Amino acid sequence: MSASNGSTSGLYSKALVTGLWRENPTFRLMIGMCPPLAVTTAVKPALTMGLSVIFVLICSNLVVSLMRNLLKPHLRIIMFTVTIATFVTICDLFLKAYQPKMSEILGAYVPLIIVNCIIIFRAEACASKSGPVVSILDGIGMGVGFTVALCILAGVREILATGHFFDVRVMPNAFVPWLALQMPVGAFVTLGLILALINVLTRRKES
Amino acid sequence: MSKLKLVGWASAHAVFFVQQSWLLLASSFCFGLLIAMTNTALSGRIEQNKAARLNDLTKALLPGAEVFQPVAADIQVSLPDGSKEKARVFEVLSRDQQRIGWSFNAHGVGFAGPIELVLAVDKDFQKIMGFDVLASSETPGFGDQIRSGFYRKQYADAPAEPLSLVKMGDPALADAQIVAITGATVSSQAVVNIVNTFLTQIKSQMQEKGLIGNVRQ
Repeated sequence: MSASNGSTSGLYSKALVTGLWRENPTFRLMIGMCPPLAVTTAVKPALTMGLSVIFVLICSNLVVSLMRNLLKPHLRIIMFTVTIATFVTICDLFLKAYQPKMSEILGAYVPLIIVNCIIIFRAEACASKSGPVVSILDGIGMGVGFTVALCILAGVREILATGHFFDVRVMPNAFVPWLALQMPVGAFVTLGLILALINVLTRRKES
Repeated sequence: MSKLKLVGWASAHAVFFVQQSWLLLASSFCFGLLIAMTNTALSGRIEQNKAARLNDLTKALLPGAEVFQPVAADIQVSLPDGSKEKARVFEVLSRDQQRIGWSFNAHGVGFAGPIELVLAVDKDFQKIMGFDVLASSETPGFGDQIRSGFYRKQYADAPAEPLSLVKMGDPALADAQIVAITGATVSSQAVVNIVNTFLTQIKSQMQEKGLIGNVRQ
């Protein structure tokens, strides 16, 4: 982040807002696509996954930012990975202890946050170059952007595949569930349609 | 002279190594400590959750169940892949210490991954009380119907004998014939196989060891 970005508060708000829309990791940058495809069968697991990613992003961004002046260039990736793995393991233990049901549904996808592209990307692109406050705000922004994207995908899939939203019945009884949307193909189709919609909207805005 | 050179060479490299990697070494130590502390704080609760879940499922299968006593006897189950393992069998007691049945864990390979079950049988091991799924990754809408509905109900009151899978039949009959789920024959067969593997071997070994009577109804 260069000095040309203006005042400090401008820098902070920019760090916070970027991840929400302009550089939304799921809908605009299309990185870290494993959870959006794998854990969006229902809103509850998607939300749990999103909150876990927010926690890990904030913690790893903070730690990486604090050690940024000590990093050796050729050892930085391994430092990022060690940091991220630590917080993911802690998060996984907390889920197992306090949300055993969610932990069971998410299964291997919580440990897989370690190799999620978003977190290592933010460590590399933001936290290893900026101060702790900007890094935390960036973690919050990116994390919330990711969580909202997951919840949109999961909402569409849960309503159409089960007739429920957040485990509450919302569709009329005559509604026939679209079981295909609960399977992997449903994730791809839903994601593709949402991306198409976003492209249409942004192109209209640009022209 | 050459010895001195070697020492100099080694110490120079050691210094270089520490210079380059001290941050990694130090932070690995701190992070390891952090994880160990979290694990110590939470492991009790995690174990409790696992036990509570197993107990809840078993309680639903055996009404009135209160106490689960692990069976000390060494019961070995040989699996279809040729390996052997010690079965985890529990004697299920009611509040007033009366035996109301037995429960045990069973597992095997399903359509899309491993299936883990908990099975309950009555106190004489004559009748299956039912099963529940601890973990499975069967196809939503098809194979995962083993968790619910008519398929699971068929096991309640079925005889504790080798079961067989049929395509047509009356699911309401409490017999050794299990009617398959349409579109999920592999998952249906997998559960039957798992139940047969564990049930028959555990039953015969418990009879040998005198834990249950040899009587046939």
